[in-house]
Amino acid sequence: MATIEANASRQANQTRGKSRKPINIGDIISYTILTIAAILVMMPLAWMFSTSLRPAQESYHLPPAWLPTDFRWENYIAPFESSVPFVDLFINSMRITVAVTLGQLVTCSLAGYAFARLRFPGRDLLFLLLLGSLMVPFQVTIIPIFLLMRDLGLIDNPLAIILPGLISAFGVFLMRQFFKQMPQELFDAARVDGAGHVRSFLQIALPLAGPAMATLAIITFNATWNAYFLPLVFLNSWHKMTLPQGIALLTGYMGSGNPSVVMAAVTMAIIPVLIVFIALQRWIIEALTRSGLKG
Amino acid sequence: MQKSGLLPELTPRHREAFVGYLFILPTYVGFTIFILYPLIESVRISFQEFSLLRGSTYIGFDNYVQMFADARLRIAYVNTIIFTLFAVFFNAGIGLILAVMLNRRLPVLMRNLYRSIFFFPVLIAHTYIAVIWRFLYHYDTGVVNYYLGVFGVEPIPWLSNAHWAMAAIIILDVWKNTGFAMLVFLAGLQSIPNEYYEAAQLDGANERQLFFRITIPMLSPTIFFILVIFMIGALQVFDTIIVLTQGGPGDATRSVVLYVYEIAFRTFNMGYAAAVSMTLFAIILMLTALQFWISRRWVHYE
Repeated sequence: MATIEANASRQANQTRGKSRKPINIGDIISYTILTIAAILVMMPLAWMFSTSLRPAQESYHLPPAWLPTDFRWENYIAPFESSVPFVDLFINSMRITVAVTLGQLVTCSLAGYAFARLRFPGRDLLFLLLLGSLMVPFQVTIIPIFLLMRDLGLIDNPLAIILPGLISAFGVFLMRQFFKQMPQELFDAARVDGAGHVRSFLQIALPLAGPAMATLAIITFNATWNAYFLPLVFLNSWHKMTLPQGIALLTGYMGSGNPSVVMAAVTMAIIPVLIVFIALQRWIIEALTRSGLKG
Repeated sequence: MQKSGLLPELTPRHREAFVGYLFILPTYVGFTIFILYPLIESVRISFQEFSLLRGSTYIGFDNYVQMFADARLRIAYVNTIIFTLFAVFFNAGIGLILAVMLNRRLPVLMRNLYRSIFFFPVLIAHTYIAVIWRFLYHYDTGVVNYYLGVFGVEPIPWLSNAHWAMAAIIILDVWKNTGFAMLVFLAGLQSIPNEYYEAAQLDGANERQLFFRITIPMLSPTIFFILVIFMIGALQVFDTIIVLTQGGPGDATRSVVLYVYEIAFRTFNMGYAAAVSMTLFAIILMLTALQFWISRRWVHYE
């Protein structure tokens, strides 16, 4: 990343090198547009947060107050006391998300390693077949999966969401790319020391795969935490639902819910994402960029 | 832990193959049950008159024929295509503009700050964003109409007028997703070697020429990639719409996926829903194939 940054600033300096003045009209235009765009991006989130701290009747005041005018922290307690079982929703979402993320880390690292570093008949064909599944949209497979889950008695059961989530063609692809880049000497040395394939995987490849595993974990965690379609299809009783479902319901028909309470609930749902993002942001951005470019 | 101990009778090559199959087994079990089987099953169901209670009967191509007479499906397709064209254009266009500006001579700290701000909405669920924007779009009390009013614009019936509702969904989508395009474009811009610019400048190229003769051609694989993934994503739009407008007013914002969802899980007409989903699948496959074919012809690869 550091080299990319250095590269970019060098390139920028060199591209703009002809203008001797430290500030020119292009820079001013850039800064203006970037700042306006940044404000536009932040406004809805600022409104969300400040509304979450106001009494309900003030949330419709215009012009809106962008900064909190009041600190009604009780709005943050209200979702827990509403008809929506907020604690259950949070736990349900967390349980599904953690199970799916851990499951994918196991299945994708195993398969990624096999496709990258082991030779077996049909390997490339099997990998291509798996990759092809990236082109299958979820709504094509959802009907048979629904019927299957119904036959298994898993409707309104988190397993209906967890089980299909345990594998990921994208994750296998990501892990395979990473394992492929590892130097062969590492594995040759292990072989000389008498390590079998399983031990090479567990003791050499896996400890070095931290960055790829973390990338996969972040992407999967976020996608599962935010998922709406699958829970909507499979979970229909209040205490089984996930957080996005609950918040959509809390909003009520045509947004009739109390805006302050709804925004407090949304803020609480977004906070885990925000914390992870701030803590790991450079890393997330690099990871997503890399996975995106190679996808 | 050491497989060799357990499998003394195998040659090293066979042992390697055995471990390989063992390692891909969990993925392939899941792939078979949750992707391959449902895909084949979906094709089969699409030729059936499907009933949860009475069992199903094969009706040949009736479901596919029925689609041609289905006015609501036509509307859903028109809506989806309009949404896709606008969303892809603005997401990619604005993302590219922001990336080009961020790639100029900016202090690293400022670049990272702007980049983080633009990117953050990408991580938030569509559902939450739609919940927030439903309040912002409110006709009387919404923040959007208030600020437009400051500039003398009459209040806009964002969610109750057919055309504006689609615009509302597109704006929300761009607000949320353009940061991803920006991020990928920025990485693409930063990977263009300096030597190209240096050589062109020696030849007396101006900035506009540098941009159109070097930046754009060098960035074309990235542009192509963004266009494809945004198009495939947009064709499947669902979460935003079901929360923001529920397909309304009337059918004005009903997307194909929302329509499939409603036929399959509200009226349980699964045969017809499967047939409709097949058409979307076919379109996505063709788009992917077409884009890759075109990209071979005009995309600049090193």
